[in-house]
Amino acid sequence: MVSKKPSIGRQKIAMRKIPKKNNLQVTFSKRRAGLFKKASELCTLCGVEIAIVVFSPAKKSYSFGHPNVESLIDHYMTKNLPPMVSNDTHKLIEAHRNANIQELNTQITQILDQLEVEKKNREALDKMKKANQNQCWWQAPIDGLGLLELHRLRVAMEELKKNIAAIQVNRILQESTNPSPFVYGGNGHFSHHGNIHGNIPNGVDVASVIPHVNNFGYGQRHY
Amino acid sequence: MTRKKVKLAYITNDSARKATFKKRKKGLMKKVNEMSTLCGIDTCAIIYSPYDAQPEVWPSPLGAQHVLSQFKKMPEMEQSKKMVNQESFLGQRIAKANEQLKKKKKENREKEMTQVMFQCLTGKGPHNMNMMDLNGLGWIIDQYLKEIDKRVESLPKDTQPHAASSSSPVAPPPPPPDVMLGNGSGAATHVERQSFGVNMDSMQSQQPCYLDLMNSQMGFGCDEIIPPFVDNNNNGFWSNSFFP
Repeated sequence: MVSKKPSIGRQKIAMRKIPKKNNLQVTFSKRRAGLFKKASELCTLCGVEIAIVVFSPAKKSYSFGHPNVESLIDHYMTKNLPPMVSNDTHKLIEAHRNANIQELNTQITQILDQLEVEKKNREALDKMKKANQNQCWWQAPIDGLGLLELHRLRVAMEELKKNIAAIQVNRILQESTNPSPFVYGGNGHFSHHGNIHGNIPNGVDVASVIPHVNNFGYGQRHY
Repeated sequence: MTRKKVKLAYITNDSARKATFKKRKKGLMKKVNEMSTLCGIDTCAIIYSPYDAQPEVWPSPLGAQHVLSQFKKMPEMEQSKKMVNQESFLGQRIAKANEQLKKKKKENREKEMTQVMFQCLTGKGPHNMNMMDLNGLGWIIDQYLKEIDKRVESLPKDTQPHAASSSSPVAPPPPPPDVMLGNGSGAATHVERQSFGVNMDSMQSQQPCYLDLMNSQMGFGCDEIIPPFVDNNNNGFWSNSFFP
């Protein structure tokens, strides 16, 4: 089976103008973002001042500058300007800014790390799904199922749905009539590895506690 | 290239900082160059550092001058439209990354919930789930039911073999599986095999098995997992999980 990849990954590319307009625009978009990111990192890591100006294929200007584009450009273009005076106030402001930027850098790093976690998570889930699909026909994609299976699946699903609703009703009722931590399950942490404390301890006759429950499948067991 | 992840903070070690600067500056200029070539656009970059009295400029002082004067000629508003500094740039990145993260988390939660749903079907019941998770589970089940219905809609219902490939919607829902098999098991299942035989075949040649399923509840290539809901007693499958 061929595994589907989200994208074809990194490819070597010829160093000349991209022929297709669409590809060119996409490339511009991506590379511009990457360029600014690299520039931002360079500023942070080495404490330097950078200005970048680019014109898009549509002739729009995009610019990045640290501390800011305009002052840097002005400084460059008027080279005979005296060197920038840096007194205490300047230094304070700069320190403040840098602290701010540091905070932002920390934030972005954190979020990117979390994204990595979710990516790994997703890969694990996909793997599990694939394994289960091979074993159990009812987990296979719907399009591959016959009418018969679909109906049986449907019946089962409806049943499950009813039972879940029952559990929920049950909980609500129990909470209101008998708010005991003993009956209500856990701290709400959901683990699909089957952490079995169970909401309702074995032996508790649910049907007798709450008469309405008789109507639901799992209540009948007690008869 | 180095494989260590570099912390995004000012490098305090002087020589390390200088070395990093040289490398990254070179890399940055290369990237500007590539982008300019690939996209056929005007660009320039200016870097002021404590290591050089003169700023480092790409493509050249003349080239940069050309780009900058072009830039300056634009109205102020146009200039500042897509202008960013570090703070605003990082702010944008953070917002975008947060959006992405939210989306991925939601997708993963749905995937996980779907797994739970299937587990429940085989009698492993929903253990230790809070109300929010139960709601989520209910929602996933609803979505799945909708998909099943949609799929059933698109399948041909009549027993004519030649009509098997058309996808005409049907009005009345077919009788429950038991009855269907009882009446015209030969015809009905034969048609299904014809039109969905391909599908069945592709599922690890289980063809004979799904018939046997109605009679014997035996496995069908699935070792330990016997779906309890095959049990024709409608109430039966679920209780097993709760009262073992």
